[in-house]
Amino acid sequence: MSSDTTTQGGSGGSAVTAGPAANEPLLRMTGIEKRYAGVRALRGVDFEVLSGEVHGLIGENGAGKSTLIKILSGVEQADGGEIEYDGKKVHFGNTAAALASGIGTVFQEPQVFPDLTVAENVFVGRELRTGDRRVDWAEQEKHCVELLRSLHLDPGLAHRTMGDLSVATWQLVSIAKALAADCRILILDEPSAILTSRETETLFEVVRRLTAQGVGVIYISHRLDELFLITDRVTVIRDGENVATRPIGELTPHRVAELMVGRELTGAEHLDPRPLGDVVLHARGLTREGAFADVDLDVRAGEIVGLYGLIGSGADDVALAVYGIEPADAGELAVKGRKVRIGSPVTADRLGIALLPADRKRQGIFASHPIDFNVSAGNLERLTAGRLFVNRRRERDRVTELSTRLNVKTPSIKQRIGALSGGNQQKVVLARQLLQRPDVLVLEEPSQGVDVGAKEEIHRIIGELAEGGAAVLVVSSDLPEVLKVCDRITVLREGRVVRSFDRGASDTDVLAAAAGRLHSTTPDDDARTDGPTQPKGANG
Amino acid sequence: MTATDVRPHPGQQRAEGTARRSFAYGNEVTLLGILAVAWVALSLAYPTFHEVGNIQNVLSSIAMVAIVGVGMTMVILTGGIDVSVGSGLAVCAVIVAKYVLSGGSVVVAVALGVLVGALLGAVNGAIVAFGRVAPIITTFATLNLFRFVSLQIFENQQVNGIPPTLSWFGPTGRTLGVPNAFLVAVLLTVVAWWYLKSYSTGRHLFAIGSNRDTALFAGVRVARREFAVYVVTGVLVGLASTVAVGSGGVVQPNIGTGFELQVIAAVVIGGTSILGGRGSALCTLLGALLVGTLRSALVTMGAPGLLTDFFLGVFILAAVAVDLVRQKRRSHR
Repeated sequence: MSSDTTTQGGSGGSAVTAGPAANEPLLRMTGIEKRYAGVRALRGVDFEVLSGEVHGLIGENGAGKSTLIKILSGVEQADGGEIEYDGKKVHFGNTAAALASGIGTVFQEPQVFPDLTVAENVFVGRELRTGDRRVDWAEQEKHCVELLRSLHLDPGLAHRTMGDLSVATWQLVSIAKALAADCRILILDEPSAILTSRETETLFEVVRRLTAQGVGVIYISHRLDELFLITDRVTVIRDGENVATRPIGELTPHRVAELMVGRELTGAEHLDPRPLGDVVLHARGLTREGAFADVDLDVRAGEIVGLYGLIGSGADDVALAVYGIEPADAGELAVKGRKVRIGSPVTADRLGIALLPADRKRQGIFASHPIDFNVSAGNLERLTAGRLFVNRRRERDRVTELSTRLNVKTPSIKQRIGALSGGNQQKVVLARQLLQRPDVLVLEEPSQGVDVGAKEEIHRIIGELAEGGAAVLVVSSDLPEVLKVCDRITVLREGRVVRSFDRGASDTDVLAAAAGRLHSTTPDDDARTDGPTQPKGANG
Repeated sequence: MTATDVRPHPGQQRAEGTARRSFAYGNEVTLLGILAVAWVALSLAYPTFHEVGNIQNVLSSIAMVAIVGVGMTMVILTGGIDVSVGSGLAVCAVIVAKYVLSGGSVVVAVALGVLVGALLGAVNGAIVAFGRVAPIITTFATLNLFRFVSLQIFENQQVNGIPPTLSWFGPTGRTLGVPNAFLVAVLLTVVAWWYLKSYSTGRHLFAIGSNRDTALFAGVRVARREFAVYVVTGVLVGLASTVAVGSGGVVQPNIGTGFELQVIAAVVIGGTSILGGRGSALCTLLGALLVGTLRSALVTMGAPGLLTDFFLGVFILAAVAVDLVRQKRRSHR
């Protein structure tokens, strides 16, 4: 479909000034209001999209940008304000209505039907039909193949069952689905979060082609560098308000970050050093067949040690072994000078070891339960009266105290955790670990998927915990984070400790050690992208 | 290949164009194979097994399960379940039986059964689809309610002396030697299969069971479809009740007890995923045939009746295991 228009308007990236269709306001949202349970999520937001422009929409998690998108795509209805689209006042009661008028959304988590074929996924809800109202399979497949081609995907995918494909492919099929609806406004919600760099390039290419055709694209992303690559203008949302809409050329990444957070970023290079105590966690020759071998570790009270490695390095497996989820099968472990064998999380827990899991959604939260439930889960024996009944008052007090201390932004500790932003969820999961006042705190990817402000806060909290005498082991694939937070960094490669660094190590040195000599120039972004090619099939 | 491929899959190129067609009927073929092997083996071992009379018995004995199985397949495809069909059958059967007893005609008797069934189905459907109550809870509640209603109409005694008005549907009603009730089941199965495959509203049942929220976002009328599948199941329960009354004579107040389990067993053994999203009406018919064959085989062998339950359990576990393995393979992509 419409492949003939791909050649016009060559400079797609700067379509605002290029094509004749540009500058025409396609969409204008004025004074949009939205409340959730009395909390004002949007406070009179104005937002505008011109035809042929890529409009970046950014803000911290919980700032309200997703709410704005939900209203535009018909998932939710605004409590106030107006939407003017294509010169007419509109109101979308559901997503189908929005899609029918040409507003397509690709949600952050691809919405797919795993049991249906790719072609069916593309056309569900708007099936192509023959004269006698039957589904026209041949026509659907033909169109699907064209769409897949335009996205540089294998046309053979059309017949495949969605569930057999990768999540990245799901994302691209979702884009095909939006394109199939011939949309005039395409909303991309963090589309690159699960794409490799090559897939992202394809995506950008598609975006440029669409803008050349006069489509307005709303591009939501946490990756600031991307915004500077693809967008023409950027709108920053903070606390439910539009704080700035500017051409991207007038901004710098640092300025954008400051607009998002609403204050000047200190950009502290490093946490302050603290006095160190005795060795709390001690490991010698720690080995788990197929994952890591001969790992030596010492973490002192008050010390923050980083365990850094690229995907497949085994750094995360070491964390799991320390917490007893995947116990080591050789080597020795000691906690506070006492030799121990940690065969299960229960043992680890009893020894005063806590783990902040890497995959928040799967391993960290009970999404449908409130904050207090999430904090006290696994800690109930510490909150009982006479070891029999849970003392609800004590639970409430401790949870309130922790959520205040960690600055969890929520109206109440009865709030469902799934409704919180990523950063606040992470703080709640951290609160669960802190309830038991651990001596050893293992933090896996502590700031994954949280926004700039929350990240800074989490780093501050880590510093405070160490200050309080905890031995902290940070396992992270986020190099700047490791460099900033840790007193020492131990680098793993292919399951072995290759080097250790003290504070102030340069990022290139650490990366070179992690990647090995051959790949010393590889940017770490690339390393993150080839997940499936783990060297030894360690994560069975 | 590498230039356009996002993530190469083994066999992807080869599969192009033929993947869906060749794979889609894997379950049907497997079940047919098992059935064929079972029949050949049983016929060789027990010559009486392939006598016409026995085959007729098997076909007529599974007709009710197969008829309701068509509706149950649709319900389970959407991720729901209906455990009230046994009690619903009792309500329809006692009303139809009493009507026939009072000298009613065939056409009105069938219409009455279907209408009452539709009504019961609408109750389930309304609560599940519009009230958003979990299907298992809803239909478990109505299982009890419908049973109570049927016992009220039975007035706590069996219905005796039912005339053979509906004998066309009963075990003796045959066309070209094939039990009519079984023919009805086959016809319904083929219609359902055609509908599920060719019509967008049919495809939407798969979509709903596969991912309800996404279906909602994609503009599928989720509640309306969910409501419809329970009504359809109710209609088929009403139809099945005419088969139950078709043999004439007596209808006991405990009619339909455990019927829901037989129907669900046929659907699951047929390979329809209990989680929704995947399945086929054709497979349910074959699943019902497999269960009927098993029963008949055990009777022929003179095995104790308890063994039927044992093998039924084994079959269900095997079907679920196959489904699980499939899911696993998928998550290891």
